[in-house]
Amino acid sequence: MRLASVAGALAVVGAPAYALELWGTGTLANSTLTVLNDLEVRYWQVPDRLEGFEDRDVLNYVEQVNRTNLLLSKPGLSIGLQVDQVALFANRYYLDDELLHERVLYDPNQIISPWDDALVVSEKMFLTKSWDGVEVTVGDVYGSFGRGIALNIVKNTDIDVDTSMRGARLKVSSGDIDITALSGLTNVQQISQDNPNQGIERGVADMVSGMQIAHYGLGPFQGTAHGAMFTFGRVEDQGREAIGRYGQAVDAASAGVGLTLLGAAGVDWYVEGDVIRYFAAELADGDEDGLLGHAVYGSAAAYPGKTTVFVEAKHTVDTERLNLFTAGENYEVASVPTLEYERVITEDGSAAVNSNDVSGARVRIDYAANPGVFVPYLAVTGLRDRDLGGLHFNQSPETVVHPVAGLQWFEGERVVQLNTGFRRDQRDDTAAGSDRLAHLDGELHVPVGHGNAIELAMGVKSFWWGNNPAQQTDFLEMENALVWHHGEQWQFVLYQDWSNNPLVTSDGNLGEQLYGAVEVKYEPRSNTEMRLFYGAYKAGIRCSGGQCRQLPGFEGARFAWTSRF
Amino acid sequence: MSRRTLLRVALVLGAALSLSLGSLDTSAAEPLGAGGKAPDFPKLRDMAGVEFDTEKDLKGKLTLVNFWATWCQPCMVEMKHLDRLHKAYKDKGFQVVSVSIDDARSKSMVKPIVKRNGYGFRVLYDTETQLVSVVNPAKTLPYNMLIGDDLTVLWTHLGYTPGDEVKMEEKIKANLPTSLSAPGN
Repeated sequence: MRLASVAGALAVVGAPAYALELWGTGTLANSTLTVLNDLEVRYWQVPDRLEGFEDRDVLNYVEQVNRTNLLLSKPGLSIGLQVDQVALFANRYYLDDELLHERVLYDPNQIISPWDDALVVSEKMFLTKSWDGVEVTVGDVYGSFGRGIALNIVKNTDIDVDTSMRGARLKVSSGDIDITALSGLTNVQQISQDNPNQGIERGVADMVSGMQIAHYGLGPFQGTAHGAMFTFGRVEDQGREAIGRYGQAVDAASAGVGLTLLGAAGVDWYVEGDVIRYFAAELADGDEDGLLGHAVYGSAAAYPGKTTVFVEAKHTVDTERLNLFTAGENYEVASVPTLEYERVITEDGSAAVNSNDVSGARVRIDYAANPGVFVPYLAVTGLRDRDLGGLHFNQSPETVVHPVAGLQWFEGERVVQLNTGFRRDQRDDTAAGSDRLAHLDGELHVPVGHGNAIELAMGVKSFWWGNNPAQQTDFLEMENALVWHHGEQWQFVLYQDWSNNPLVTSDGNLGEQLYGAVEVKYEPRSNTEMRLFYGAYKAGIRCSGGQCRQLPGFEGARFAWTSRF
Repeated sequence: MSRRTLLRVALVLGAALSLSLGSLDTSAAEPLGAGGKAPDFPKLRDMAGVEFDTEKDLKGKLTLVNFWATWCQPCMVEMKHLDRLHKAYKDKGFQVVSVSIDDARSKSMVKPIVKRNGYGFRVLYDTETQLVSVVNPAKTLPYNMLIGDDLTVLWTHLGYTPGDEVKMEEKIKANLPTSLSAPGN
């Protein structure tokens, strides 16, 4: 019965892609309906053993995830729906009718599903109607004001985070003026496409409302003024109607202005200032009068000759605490540009990214020796991190200096991209020493004739801790891939990871620290891709757009089918 | 894993795949979406702050809409080829419209990338992912959509591997409004 139900659910959501015109004379006449589908099946080989059954792999299980996006559109109207479905198989181990182990998909006290081991969720839905200069969206909306310091709730594909606001959004455009107003209750994506789905819980929604006015015709200037307010859900709000957040006291409010000046003295300028008022005691460190945080961000870009000079700087005081309630659910409602080379951020480096009190600047100089073909660059980030709480390992303020150099060389189908750098986090307390990170990453793609090409992608980082009672083991990590592109449709990939970082929670399949995998990719046509993977990759922290997330490792087999039309 | 579980997995997979295979025609010249109308473009602004107008800026031209972000390495490689195609065919009714989906935090980095590489196509900011949410909800990058002069979607492509630009150029040449098939003709 359960199998039939799951198969039925798949029948609804499993078809990969269709786009068709709707005919008739009704409201939806001449609309286009598009269906997009991602199907993934993973066989998890779990290295742990059930006590007393060390000789058997009874903890292995199968996870199947499907994501379907439906979009109906016609001029002036778009209706979208994202339906996710997940099912676990072989997730229980019985012996003589006694349940010895189970992997629970969701918390039945919070989530209702007709199936014990399958769940179908309508994650996102929206309807957008537009008229001349007016656009109204009801359903799941996103918002990003200024440079994201006052409000930044957007989807982060890189780290599989998609939190929207379920409510309404109004945008009015009149000449050079855009006015955006939005309000909604946060809606965290519950089923993960990339990460294991276990013990899924319904989050506690937060209320977010905001408004931005942007003027693009102030002579050489463009200006924005924006503000947002937040009422966060607490643990004790679990089970209560989320709409009740609108009746509760506001926990925090942010406001700011941004100013753009293009081409003044050959330079593009941007400057923004924001203040954040914390009313809730948890956010204001118990101060009944509240707490005031602030941030200033500025950037300047100049293009003399073949050189591009880009400078950005920031100064923040008590800004990150705005994410105190949401960090546990792996998303942020706002954050300041990091100024960092995010691809190599470690557990230690993420502290500065998520710091409450940090000041700094970054300078990047690109020299287009052959524009679009050969462009080397040099960048230096300097940060003064005064925060000692949260993720910080250090007990005293520190100064971070991070020079990075690299190049891009794109010649025909030959591609070389290289980035290398060295970061030092020097603590004020000299007895605590400094943390250091050296890193190199790159990509090489070389055609070898007859429609074949070889690609090598590599990344290595070495980390040395200062005097740190919490963590003293230096480590080396690398992630490499060798790809053979065969024609337009086939790719054969060898992956190799290595890590002796004790903070990494996974074990290698080729040795305690060595991971290996093979993958075949087949692209029968331009918008359909199938991938078959077998092996393992390591866990680790991944940062994108100022958000960091600890991603689990994987060992087993995986089949993925992606279709987009 | 027991034989019974394997059978259940195989059955469910079979159900899903058989449904999927129904539309998998590798010999098809165009994806199934080809022929549909381009979705309505929300109001976006370019790097100079000028509003993009779907009717005025798309109608009558063959347009390749390219979605990218500053953190997307394959996008960086692909854009050089897009710029070449834009410059080669712009006099024949073709244009590239590039859409950065960088969120607010990395918006300042968009223009320096475009300027240092000397790209000549128009770049729009989709900071709040209004447009990409409609055309490619998964937001995987890069993503390209070729739109005909009558606002019909002619071709879509996800991802970039060096060499993809050859296919892209073939599609462009085959659909130029002036029916010219090569640059310089």
